[in-house]
Amino acid sequence: MSDFARKGWIGKILVLLLVFGLVPAALAFAGKGYFFQVANLVLIFALLAASLHLVTGAAGLLHLGHAAFYGIGAYVAALMGTDLKLGFIWGLPAAGLVAAAFAFVVALPTMRLVSIYFAVATLAIGQMINTVLLNWVAVTKGPNGVMLFSGINLFGFALKAPLAVYFVVAVLVSLSIFVLHRLSHSYYGNALRSLREDDQCADAMGVNTVRLKIEVFTISAFFAGVAGALWAYTTGYVSPNDFGFSTSILILAMIVVGGLGSLPGAIIGAVVLILLPELLRGLGDLRNVMVGLVMFFSILFMPKGLFGEVSALSLVRRGFGLKWGAAPSNREVGWQ
Amino acid sequence: MSLIEIEHVTRRFGGLLAVDDVTTRVEDGELVGVIGPNGAGKTTLFNLISGFTPLSAGAVRFKGEAITGLKPHKIAARGMSRTFQNLRVFPNMSVFDNVSVGAVGAMGQSAFGAVFGGARRSDAISARTWAALERVGLTAEAEELAANLSYGKRKYLEIARALAMEPDLLILDEPAAGLNDSETAELARFIRSLNAAGMAIMLVEHDMNLVMGICSRVVVLASGRKIADAEPAAVRADPVVLEAYLGVED
Repeated sequence: MSDFARKGWIGKILVLLLVFGLVPAALAFAGKGYFFQVANLVLIFALLAASLHLVTGAAGLLHLGHAAFYGIGAYVAALMGTDLKLGFIWGLPAAGLVAAAFAFVVALPTMRLVSIYFAVATLAIGQMINTVLLNWVAVTKGPNGVMLFSGINLFGFALKAPLAVYFVVAVLVSLSIFVLHRLSHSYYGNALRSLREDDQCADAMGVNTVRLKIEVFTISAFFAGVAGALWAYTTGYVSPNDFGFSTSILILAMIVVGGLGSLPGAIIGAVVLILLPELLRGLGDLRNVMVGLVMFFSILFMPKGLFGEVSALSLVRRGFGLKWGAAPSNREVGWQ
Repeated sequence: MSLIEIEHVTRRFGGLLAVDDVTTRVEDGELVGVIGPNGAGKTTLFNLISGFTPLSAGAVRFKGEAITGLKPHKIAARGMSRTFQNLRVFPNMSVFDNVSVGAVGAMGQSAFGAVFGGARRSDAISARTWAALERVGLTAEAEELAANLSYGKRKYLEIARALAMEPDLLILDEPAAGLNDSETAELARFIRSLNAAGMAIMLVEHDMNLVMGICSRVVVLASGRKIADAEPAAVRADPVVLEAYLGVED
């Protein structure tokens, strides 16, 4: 990142005050379990959106299988907690590492694919992982899912109070987002953005594009895995349904609404798309239509989302190799 | 030892010889022009040197080491940096961020370094970026989005990004395309000043006046073959070159 972007201390302090002061105070005041669930959900999806931001928003790779790595993390944490009796302290890092390892193996062949082929490959991998979660009954318990009763146990202290669990989630999500922020707002982040803009040109600048794509895909999956572990421990139940294609698209929608390329945008997108359906609960099934409309109009009237660097349509257009309208750049370098 | 040695470089596209057995070299600190009619293979030659197009035959040596078959980023890391014929800046990034990619490409920053400190590396990258911006006179526009710059300024932005790599050989692919006469003259002065500071430059250009005015040596390509390789005055008088450009006189 450039020197100019070292501002914004006030914003950060306000966010920290909100997450660690105002929200827990309100939660304690309301005192209902449902509100704690929603607050945890917002934090977990903020982390998912922030991690997808790195791959899709910054590096411009249309990733349609993010939820699968989230699912791997959730299952690793849940199965370690139940079958191996290894609690949160072990489950959390293991969830991230296993998800990252999967992503690394997946990335090796797919990162050489261009645009649409990459999108389709991630879609297929997401579906494959989800199918395995659903059908490998001996390990994953299949459609019944895994119940995790142990709860979060930190260094011998069992955290029973919902407020304590909230604080654990808030601290871990904040730390993870801080790391993602450092990656995104650094010269490393600029190299990522150059992949999004024109990866051949980045190559000519000495940027090892394939290696960078593999790295960022793996790092992103690590944090998706961490989010999965947090989900497993806050809800106490994981099932394959939570990690399907629709979840991948929901996370993608969050970063599109917030603005591709912007980390605060990704987080705000997550907050909006988690809270909106909850606020509209009174409308019954109509609320899903409302959420759809919000997404539709935000793409129509705010092509760059709330804080975006690139418009979602141009990314999709480039991703799918369709050259209607003004093509962003002439991508041929070959023979003139 | 020359800075770059291009030996019997050949590239076939199907039945067509785009570059046919071209041999030439660039010495340290030299400013060499490559000219030729449309379709002569000038850009292809540059793509072969910079690793974007694989060679069908021949070899390229840079600073005495073979770079044939290396990936573009590996070649770039050895100190060769290029611009593109059709302006390729990163439109949705600021001018500063654009140029910083050249600096970070040359110096590197790991994910680990980005997260945990590495302030010294960051400061060095930032200093290099500012130096390159200063060299092309774009410091005032540093925060501007690249897409919002004028065409002429985007040309300089692309050159600044290449300069941020602090290359030993700078390859410019038609830098004057789309510029008017006064802008071209300005660019000629700028390229000459870079060369005067010791940088070796290879330059593909349509604008004969630009090439003849600033280059110490001119390579002429026609239909993929090298037909001349000499000082500007000698090339200007060469009947073979005149024929290639103007057609045969009856």
